[in-house]
Amino acid sequence: MTGAVSQVALTPGYLLHHQAWRDSGRVLEVLTQDHGRLSLFARGVRGPKSKLAGILQPFAPLLLSWRGRGDAPLLIGAEPDPQAGGAGMGLPPACILSGYYLSELVITLTARHDPQPDIFAHYHRALLALKQGAQLERELRLFEKRLLDALGYGIDSGTAADGAGIDADKYYHYRPADGLHEAVADSSGGILGATLQSLAQERLDDPLSLEQSRVVLRVALGQCLEGRTLKTRKVARSLWQMRQSA
Amino acid sequence: MKHSPALARLIDALHALPGIGPKTAQRMAFRLLQDGREGARELSSAITGALGAVGRCTRCRMLTEGELCLVCASPQRDSALLCVVESPADVVAVEASASFRGRYFVLMGHLSPLDGIGPEQLGLAQFEQLLVAGEVREVILATNPTVEGEATAHFLSGLAQKHGLRATRIAHGVPIGGELEYVDGGTLAHALQGRQSVF
Repeated sequence: MTGAVSQVALTPGYLLHHQAWRDSGRVLEVLTQDHGRLSLFARGVRGPKSKLAGILQPFAPLLLSWRGRGDAPLLIGAEPDPQAGGAGMGLPPACILSGYYLSELVITLTARHDPQPDIFAHYHRALLALKQGAQLERELRLFEKRLLDALGYGIDSGTAADGAGIDADKYYHYRPADGLHEAVADSSGGILGATLQSLAQERLDDPLSLEQSRVVLRVALGQCLEGRTLKTRKVARSLWQMRQSA
Repeated sequence: MKHSPALARLIDALHALPGIGPKTAQRMAFRLLQDGREGARELSSAITGALGAVGRCTRCRMLTEGELCLVCASPQRDSALLCVVESPADVVAVEASASFRGRYFVLMGHLSPLDGIGPEQLGLAQFEQLLVAGEVREVILATNPTVEGEATAHFLSGLAQKHGLRATRIAHGVPIGGELEYVDGGTLAHALQGRQSVF
């Protein structure tokens, strides 16, 4: 992506993050279906006269056009994606923080200019589900699972590290280095085999499998994050504590 | 052309101001140093004075020189109405409308989880103290109609609810004197959602 002038017209994408740039511009971090994640410079998209200010919002399916040389070309157009159907609605306010969590996972765990249509599809699917009122925790876990699978860090829920099959009634510990190990029946932190199967089949339709999946996915994501912390998790924890305090 | 160090520093400092490009910054610097030296001294003195004297209102976080800003210090204002805005400029805008007689709380930003901006940065502990104090009856959420503004308003409405207070959101819709034809789809959708009965 260096040297040659690139021009892309009306490609499906989402705005993941944006920051002010000069007086009326923004630097956009976008995830596109066909060009992966990239930065775009957008001139004149802030202020009362900007026609794009209302369109360039996170979580809205967009058709993006850009042109330029180098790693961060210039946005030359953006419009709502008419093919997005129900995804065109805004994210319900109660889900916005979760939407940012999804965006931060994508920003942190994907490389720029590396087309990953699967990850784009998973992001789109998760946002659509949240917009349609799906259960929040379940959609977050499913996105984490699908993202890990797409990145090649998925949990092999079919076989334990010793080659044995996963028994629904047994408990397991997950180690990112070598996978699942059978645990003593009631050992603390053990993940029930049934949960691993539910996760692999993307069911997660009961509270226990949801909670245990959160734990095992947190471990798997931790390996990918390599010590980096997620800002959205920290902010979410602060907000939760404030909401709960007497 | 390369400028001398002090001149280059002045141009850079002016260029950092909103709305000032490099050429305008250069023109301003030349003007200040050519035949506007008295004005330049006055500007320098005003900036130094403001930096030393202007802080934040201890009640609403608005920029002010005293402990309380003029709105918070005024006995004429209705303490039962608390309007939450993102910036001091928003306070000025609402005051210019002459339509609000309550008090304000200035967040100095909005929730921005990806930038790590959460309740601590927005002074929400201070905001909650105002709610606990017992004078406020209604919290008016006047954050911007952006995704970040909506997320902020949603969280603040939860805090108001926690303390048994009424929370309202300012309406979004078609500007007065505007024409539907030129209003963007998102604004129009909000306007239709927020429609009111006329009889």
